[in-house]
Amino acid sequence: MALDLDMSSLYSIKGIAILDQDGHRILAKYYDSEVFPSQKEQAAFEKNLFQKTHKANSEIILLDGLICVYRSNVDLFFYVIGSAQENELILVSVLNCLYDSVSTVLRKNVEKKALLDSIDIAMLIMDEICDDGVIMETDPQAVVSRCALRPDEMNFGDQSVSQLGMSLLTSAKEQVKWSVFK
Amino acid sequence: SHPRKMRKDNKKDEEASSGNPFANLDKTTVVQEARAFNETPINARKCNAILCKLLYLLQHGETISRTEATDTFFAITKLWQSKDATLRRLVYLAIKDLCNVADDVIIVTSSLTKDMTGKEDMYRAAAIRALCRITDSGMLQAIERYMKQAIVDKVPAVASAALVSSLHMLKKSPDVVRRWANEVQEAVSSDNHMVQFHALGLLYHIRSSDRLAVNKLVQKFGKSGLRSPYALCYLIRIAAKLVEENENGSDKSAFQFIESCLRHKNEIVIYEAASAIVKLPNITSGDLASAVSVLQLFCSSPKPAMRFAAVRTLNKISINYPQAVISCNVDLEQLITDQNRSIATLAITTLLKTGAEASVER
Repeated sequence: MALDLDMSSLYSIKGIAILDQDGHRILAKYYDSEVFPSQKEQAAFEKNLFQKTHKANSEIILLDGLICVYRSNVDLFFYVIGSAQENELILVSVLNCLYDSVSTVLRKNVEKKALLDSIDIAMLIMDEICDDGVIMETDPQAVVSRCALRPDEMNFGDQSVSQLGMSLLTSAKEQVKWSVFK
Repeated sequence: SHPRKMRKDNKKDEEASSGNPFANLDKTTVVQEARAFNETPINARKCNAILCKLLYLLQHGETISRTEATDTFFAITKLWQSKDATLRRLVYLAIKDLCNVADDVIIVTSSLTKDMTGKEDMYRAAAIRALCRITDSGMLQAIERYMKQAIVDKVPAVASAALVSSLHMLKKSPDVVRRWANEVQEAVSSDNHMVQFHALGLLYHIRSSDRLAVNKLVQKFGKSGLRSPYALCYLIRIAAKLVEENENGSDKSAFQFIESCLRHKNEIVIYEAASAIVKLPNITSGDLASAVSVLQLFCSSPKPAMRFAAVRTLNKISINYPQAVISCNVDLEQLITDQNRSIATLAITTLLKTGAEASVER
């Protein structure tokens, strides 16, 4: 992991994973082929990570020389993995963005079934947050507004929607208006 | 609608997978289903479901043969005719996931270039990111004009996409990307926090071989007060590198900048500055003391990650300068019983190094 010593690298995320209550992968992306050369290493790491974190509700762990921050709800576990040199608080901001973006899209129904129903948007969210290991965005509202949400997937009751991308909102309002006139 | 494979696994496994429509996918079947992309008119809902299955399999480490990948890739190109926004966005994801396995992926260059320069912001950023994945040095020159425009685009997602893609391209085509320095520099003054961070990161990598230029960069942006906490953290790292390489201390401004960040209002920046200072060589006890007092405050934070960050850094300091950490012993004792075991362990090992026998007995 010689590259990790280079603090000027922008490739700060090693992986993002969402696991279920049995530790099975729902979605995961790994960005460092030296640390995780294949599916085998990823799976072994995930298993170890889940064993060490699923009961300990404590947000952060140092595992195999990597910093892992995590959050869980009902039957879902969210993980962001970074190098040991990385600023822990930056990793937490990425994790919170992932969780809050998913939560907004699932209308606060953060559980496995709802996630599987919206797996297309969940994959887009992960893509908007991290590009090949570089943090792209940590503001959940920006992330959600950049995902191609259909108007019916937007949470109108939620205050945060008022701050979503204006173009999206306008188009959504248009749709509602037309459906009223029909 | 997808056929489930026969499973011999035990009941518990079946329960776990029940309700998960992706649990028992078969790759060959999904690849065959992708033929539906060729049908007209395009059924967006159906194609979305198939693409999700494909992306799901790839995220689960399923390997796909070159022929299968190429066939699927070509079928996916037909989906450009659909106006469904989510479907189109999944197409970009699939391109990125398949482009390293499939042949002749440059076939989508013109479609992506069109999307990149089109009116839909929702597509522009994603198209730039996908396009740069399939682009080599020769082709990069063909889209150079668009890349330079995108870097200074007023839409943050577009600018960030162009900047981060340029950073990836720097490995393959350093000479081309270096020509964009003016645009990148302009983007550093963006109001958007992420654009500022991405621009500063790319600018540094464009100039990293020129020591004088890096020096100027730290001086300029250290004084101008970057608004983005991420950009500030990045500048702290560059400044720390300058201080490290320049041990005779002829340039004090880089260190002064780092030290000033200890008084920033954002805790991410404060922590970055403190952890940069303690890593510097030949640090004075005075400089160390101000960093330690910041970390001491973090020890009593309600956020586990902050306590972890603090105790991990104090632990590092205690290896070379155990005396400097003694002032934190009371706080470290509190952390011995922390419900996070990593924090508790780090607190104990730090206390052992500071040689506080009395506190260990307690």
